[in-house]
Amino acid sequence: MMNNRSTSGSIFAVIIGIAAIGFGILEFVGGEWGPLTVEAGTFTAWRAVILICAGLIYLSSVSNFMDIRQLAKSVVASIMIWIVAAMDIWAMIAASIPSGAEEAGEPWFASGTEFLAAYGPPYMPAIYLLIPSLVILYFVGKRRLAK
Amino acid sequence: MERALTVDQRWDLVDRIAKETVEVGAYKPTLKDALAGITVNPWTGIPFAIAVLYGFWTFFGEFAGLFTDGFFVRIFGTHWIPFLGEKLAGLPDWAFTILVGDKAVFAEGFVGDPCFAAGGVLTTGLFMPFGIVLWAVLALFFVLAILEDTGYLPRLAVLIDTVMHKIGLHGFAIVPTLISLGCNVPGVTAARTLETRKQRFIMIALLGVFVPCGAQIGMMEELVPGMIGWVFLTLAIGYFVFGWVLNKIWPGESPEILMDVPPYRAPQWSNILRKTWMRTRHFLFVAVPFVLLGCAIVMVLYATGAMDAIASGLEGLLASVFGVPASATPSLMVGFLRKDLAIGLLPIGAMTNYQVFKSVILLSIYFPCLATFALLLRELNWKEILATLGFLVAMVFVFGGVLNLIGMAGGW
Repeated sequence: MMNNRSTSGSIFAVIIGIAAIGFGILEFVGGEWGPLTVEAGTFTAWRAVILICAGLIYLSSVSNFMDIRQLAKSVVASIMIWIVAAMDIWAMIAASIPSGAEEAGEPWFASGTEFLAAYGPPYMPAIYLLIPSLVILYFVGKRRLAK
Repeated sequence: MERALTVDQRWDLVDRIAKETVEVGAYKPTLKDALAGITVNPWTGIPFAIAVLYGFWTFFGEFAGLFTDGFFVRIFGTHWIPFLGEKLAGLPDWAFTILVGDKAVFAEGFVGDPCFAAGGVLTTGLFMPFGIVLWAVLALFFVLAILEDTGYLPRLAVLIDTVMHKIGLHGFAIVPTLISLGCNVPGVTAARTLETRKQRFIMIALLGVFVPCGAQIGMMEELVPGMIGWVFLTLAIGYFVFGWVLNKIWPGESPEILMDVPPYRAPQWSNILRKTWMRTRHFLFVAVPFVLLGCAIVMVLYATGAMDAIASGLEGLLASVFGVPASATPSLMVGFLRKDLAIGLLPIGAMTNYQVFKSVILLSIYFPCLATFALLLRELNWKEILATLGFLVAMVFVFGGVLNLIGMAGGW
């Protein structure tokens, strides 16, 4: 019978859970801290709620982390972070393509420098959570191998 | 003589047959099964639904913004409209007004956005459907197709089932509602899947009044982006309050149903693209002619002076009941043809923020667009149509009046 406990998995869920809650609170507060920024907009409160809920769902999956239901909770929390991060990246892509110029004769598309500059820091909180949240794929693969 | 079995005897028989024929083993749920369960459990499913809907709206807003603000405002405002203004300057005044629009837009020192201010069939009439709305509906239909094909929509239906029962519907009513966010016409058609006439009537009445279509949402996103959350909140309140009222007063049944929830699946991109294209094509062929016709009617009314007469006639009603200026009359008039066009024609610069908010709400609730209304005539019987119209009139006065009173109380 498979052991449902995983110390590394539980540590992962605790760390990323607390980080997601922290970043969610920052989304509510708003502002810029070095390479981290929270831009106020129509959906700022939504992003905050999603990150905080994702954090709580991670924390609820800490015990018996490799149990399929517990693991699925962490997967759901990770998908929530991926959705927010993907939309932040999509917003960067959408902003990097047009030049923003309105007068005739000016270029339609952003120059190479402007294009690359659009992808520089500061970044939104979910983008910082994106790579750590991908670790969940390692645990999903590990469970599949154990089966 | 044959003897009928009692209920207990029948269940005993079922048990005996089941014991002999069904093999029961230990079932180990897969990750997919566990995910399916977690996304319908309210504690985890509701936050997940919020994340999915956030993705839905953000993708839509950014996609539409990329094309509209990034390229089409400039294509029309800097190139197409000035080009037409110059090339068609020799036309008689009435023809110029209908085709190109207000001559003041081409005067030196004009301040404003020519894309909306011109108003002609070939200027604003083309800018709205192709410069704004097309990209919004394309994004909405694309994401909606993904949600349908992954199997997430039925789970959303399970999650919202309890709430929908309060208004005489069940969870699957979320499907026509979400489809209506793209276009009310397929949304109303999708309401056929509901079980009873009462449910279909409630659903269709709510869709026609409280669910803005993708074209409308695209215009709101472009013109009043800061208000869109409040507009949606207000419409959602109306959807549930008036749904509850209709459920109480309209006779008929609202039965429970057993929902079949399919497993999660990876979507097939060919299906997604085909669905998106079919729905977008429907928009292009059904909606665009109405936008062009609406622009033509408004400009004819302007050119003949009829618009001023109508506006002054309606001024008292608009000001006293809804607190909206008479200059909003043209947009309210074309709202019957296309609500997106109506929002584009609102004199936003001449109104306070709260008046703009009220006007956007009024345009949403005061009548379904012509295409949806034509479909209502087909889907409902005469009694239901009269009831829907009565419901609409009551809604406009009650809802519009209440919003006006709130504004007066708040001093907005």
